[in-house]
Amino acid sequence: MALYNNKLWLLSHIRDSFISTDDTGMSELVMVGDDVPKQLADKLDCYRDPEDSEDDEDTSHESYDFHLDVDFEVQRQRSNTAVRLEKLDNAKKRAAKVKNIKWEFSPVRPTEQELGELFVRKEPKKNVSNTRKSLLSEKLEQCTNLPQNPYIEYAKFDGSAQVGILTRKYKIFLTMLPEEHRNYPMTVSCIATAKIEELIGFILLKCSTIHGDFPLKPVSHYGLYITEEDGEVDHDFPNLDPKESVAKFGFTCLGLVEHKQITKNVSFESSQTIIQHEGSDEINKISSKLHMDDAQQITANMHLMKVHATAMEAPLYQSYRVYIVNKMRAKAEIQLGISGEKIEIDPLQQKNSKFTFVRQKPVSHHIDSVAWCEVTDTKSSGTAFRVVYSSSFGGGGGSTNVNVNVGSIQSPILQTSTSFKHYDFEADHNTAEEIVQKINLILELRSSGSRKEYLASRERKQRRRSFHSNK
Amino acid sequence: MVVEGSNENDQIILATGGYDHTIKIWQTHTGICQRTMQHAESQVNALEITPDKSCLAATGYQHIRMYDLASNNPNPTVNYEGITKNVTGVGFQEDGKWMYTGSEDCSARIWDYRLKSPHAAKIFQTSAPVTCVCLHPNQVELLVGDQSGVIHLWDLKTDHNEQFIPEGDTMILDIDVDSEGTHMAAVNSKGRCYIWSLTFGREGEPTKMHPKHKFDAHKRQALKCRFSPDSTLLVTTSADQTARIWKTCDFTLLQELTQDNQRWVWDAVFSSDSQYIFTASSDGCAKLWNVKSGHMEREYAGHQKAVIALAFRDAVL
Repeated sequence: MALYNNKLWLLSHIRDSFISTDDTGMSELVMVGDDVPKQLADKLDCYRDPEDSEDDEDTSHESYDFHLDVDFEVQRQRSNTAVRLEKLDNAKKRAAKVKNIKWEFSPVRPTEQELGELFVRKEPKKNVSNTRKSLLSEKLEQCTNLPQNPYIEYAKFDGSAQVGILTRKYKIFLTMLPEEHRNYPMTVSCIATAKIEELIGFILLKCSTIHGDFPLKPVSHYGLYITEEDGEVDHDFPNLDPKESVAKFGFTCLGLVEHKQITKNVSFESSQTIIQHEGSDEINKISSKLHMDDAQQITANMHLMKVHATAMEAPLYQSYRVYIVNKMRAKAEIQLGISGEKIEIDPLQQKNSKFTFVRQKPVSHHIDSVAWCEVTDTKSSGTAFRVVYSSSFGGGGGSTNVNVNVGSIQSPILQTSTSFKHYDFEADHNTAEEIVQKINLILELRSSGSRKEYLASRERKQRRRSFHSNK
Repeated sequence: MVVEGSNENDQIILATGGYDHTIKIWQTHTGICQRTMQHAESQVNALEITPDKSCLAATGYQHIRMYDLASNNPNPTVNYEGITKNVTGVGFQEDGKWMYTGSEDCSARIWDYRLKSPHAAKIFQTSAPVTCVCLHPNQVELLVGDQSGVIHLWDLKTDHNEQFIPEGDTMILDIDVDSEGTHMAAVNSKGRCYIWSLTFGREGEPTKMHPKHKFDAHKRQALKCRFSPDSTLLVTTSADQTARIWKTCDFTLLQELTQDNQRWVWDAVFSSDSQYIFTASSDGCAKLWNVKSGHMEREYAGHQKAVIALAFRDAVL
């Protein structure tokens, strides 16, 4: 730009910038008095004609007011005519690059000499039949076992350089390619009448010619997804329906994703892996093996998800049928209800037996009174587990305190001499595990005073025991 | 230097064109389309590569367009106009001194296509639309076939011309002369093939043509005939969905090149060692066949519509 060579212009531009951007107005106060660029003008710009400077049209540098360029108009919607005119104009420009030669027949008969130069009778080459190998044969022999490109049938959907046919241009991110090729899109042009699966085939054809060494799977293994301009595949939407025409979809930026399982819709696991794939470079560098065992990654992720889900579900009410075991080792079937607020023990009517050795009253304990839960014994018949609770919690009602009022939770500080009691239950292994896990998750979440106290007393006991044993 | 990024394929050029208004350049041994060029406004009737391999000439309705093979420009660089109807054939003098065309406006023309010798331009009028043109290897006699079934032998030096009518009112569809200049073949719309043996005229005198053989090459229209570079074979293509390779010693059938649903076979060209043959057909594909086995070796797919013209340049090792 010529202006950047102009010292004067630069100087006044700096000055104007100061004035126009300084909100305090100090710059303007200081600088408006003496127009340095003007003073320097004659010194700096010795080539400038002093007369010319007066009626110079380009005096914009001398004023710091904003000048809107005359050409700068508010953009308005262009009419169809304007678009068509531009198209015609472009066609004309293109045509201008083509040299046109009209048929011209010169009436002047060429001289004998010219004729002799132009139309020379040549002896046809004799004995051309000596069989020398052609380059084509050589090339073909070099790649005799060339496997047929499986996607060659999709070549006809190529939209590049088509005349008179509607075509569509896409930026395709190839998410299954190695890292270095995955970050930039491949531009693909296909005819507008192609179906999505045909577009996928054509993308794979193009991909196989560019990245020849990369193994590709049949078309049905891939799906096209709506993708951000930066290559981030949007998994909130399902893949574009392979049977639909490309013209139905208006997206120009798509991501080709290899499905882990050949399903119509990508499952959650596969989207997990893709997120993993597109994770930061560091992760990829640290564990390059990550790509190697995708399956392991998926299971790990799934496990994490499961743990998370159970933790989330822990405070939700759930009831189990278990046996309560009293001190006499007698069992009675009860319903154990566990929620984020309380644990309820309800006896079940035992219809099949008239004798019940254990009479269990319905009991409810506020969850904050529960201190501990653990598996105590694992037998082949079932698993025994113990729930420890504070008997003095909630007004010291004791273990048989029916319906502890949830509203009247007392401060755990008051429970100075807590006595802990426990229930023993028995259930099949899986149920027991599940209950213990559920209760412990709730306890971890709440970490009540009873629990802390129980843990502390247990620690004290252990210390004492070790002290005794050391003696 | 034909196409960027294909140095190993430098010397081989295969171009195809047809009804979809595009011209495609292929990598012959892999079957990959390297480049697509636009041929707007009309179908491609014929293709030819200049002797220096720098340009590709494509003929269509009223135009001959020249494409640059060295660059990636999808548009033509030169447009020759002034013909009122379809241009059916194009070719070049072996040193690239001039270009010849035949067209349906009942004329064959010599073009000074490089604008170097303005007096080269010549026109030869016929009574019927010209269907094919073929330059005798002596580079001064042009054979012109027309729709009324006449073959004209036009001496470019003297403008003397002779006419041959193998079969009245049967359109001549193609003419070819073998590289040694000893035989000429012509095919017509009844699928018949005519062979002449040629003897050189003395200095200044026209070539003498002696009818040698005629046979029914195809049941339907024959569209193209082409001698192999070693003159031992002749290929004819036809609307009967086949291309047939004949031995020139006795004109017996050597191979029939056919494939289900390939439809009309429009054009054919031999490799320079006569071992392979390319065909162009209405199924939108060009194909490469092994002459000895008759098997298809490669398929060049990518055109939207029928492929009717081929241009091929090979190199000899």
